[in-house]
Amino acid sequence: MRKIILITPLILLTVVCLFFLLFILFDKDPNEPPSALLNKNVPFFSSINLYNDKENILSDNLKGKYTLVNFFASWCTPCRAEHYLFFEIQKEIPELFILGFAHKDNPADSKKYLEIEGNPYSFVGIDQDGKIAFEFGVFGLPETFIINREGKIIFKHIGPLTKKIVEDEITTLF
Amino acid sequence: MRLQHFFKLFFIFFLTYSAHSSESMDNRVKKLTLELRCMTCQNQSVYDSDSDYSEDIKILVKEKFEEGLNEKEIKDFLTERYGEYILFKPYFNSKNILLWLFPFILVIVSIFILIKNSKKTKSS
Repeated sequence: MRKIILITPLILLTVVCLFFLLFILFDKDPNEPPSALLNKNVPFFSSINLYNDKENILSDNLKGKYTLVNFFASWCTPCRAEHYLFFEIQKEIPELFILGFAHKDNPADSKKYLEIEGNPYSFVGIDQDGKIAFEFGVFGLPETFIINREGKIIFKHIGPLTKKIVEDEITTLF
Repeated sequence: MRLQHFFKLFFIFFLTYSAHSSESMDNRVKKLTLELRCMTCQNQSVYDSDSDYSEDIKILVKEKFEEGLNEKEIKDFLTERYGEYILFKPYFNSKNILLWLFPFILVIVSIFILIKNSKKTKSS
């Protein structure tokens, strides 16, 4: 009996350590920071159209439709790697509104980039000072979000999208 | 002549005050950014990092202080967007209570068992 009492703290410690280890191994990828905005309302933003400075888009305009938000820049190499996938997403989910934000980029460079790579976006907003990216908690390009009809963020991906991510995680949302 | 002296004194006072306030602002930014994790670096604070992300956060923190926000409000603003991961020292709240209290609980339980056990040994 005394032995059992003596080793109780050790057993307790082992159980708790195992619990935390399992939690880390199965629930969280230590290389990917947690997404604070998941399941929260889309943050407020207002952005000017890259092609028409008289037209702008507000966060309120996204309500009532599914929206994919992608932060990109002409200087961002990984953005080029995922760019073609937005055409595929557009074909597969035609009702999806694809909103691109040219992040900390010269508008002329963004236009040139979209001329070369093609423009899969329904609307390209300018985020030259990076303030919109701050609202979305972006810390590296590219980053992609999906917002549902109620205006809640239901998906977030840091880094370039891959075909597998699109098939397994994006198209399954619709 | 007196007016000239007054302006000289006023100028010196103004320079000293502005130097002091900018220094205290820099110190406030430094103090807070030392507590923030650079999300694009390996275990480096925002203050110690020169990455684009950290530079942006430093500017943001300074802007928020200038807007009149306090440390707690700026931390809340950042954690709402980047999660508690951005803080080196997590908040003491219901989510983290086990993390904070478990070592103390373990020590207390161990001491309690040790005392109980030693009493039993003595009596036997």
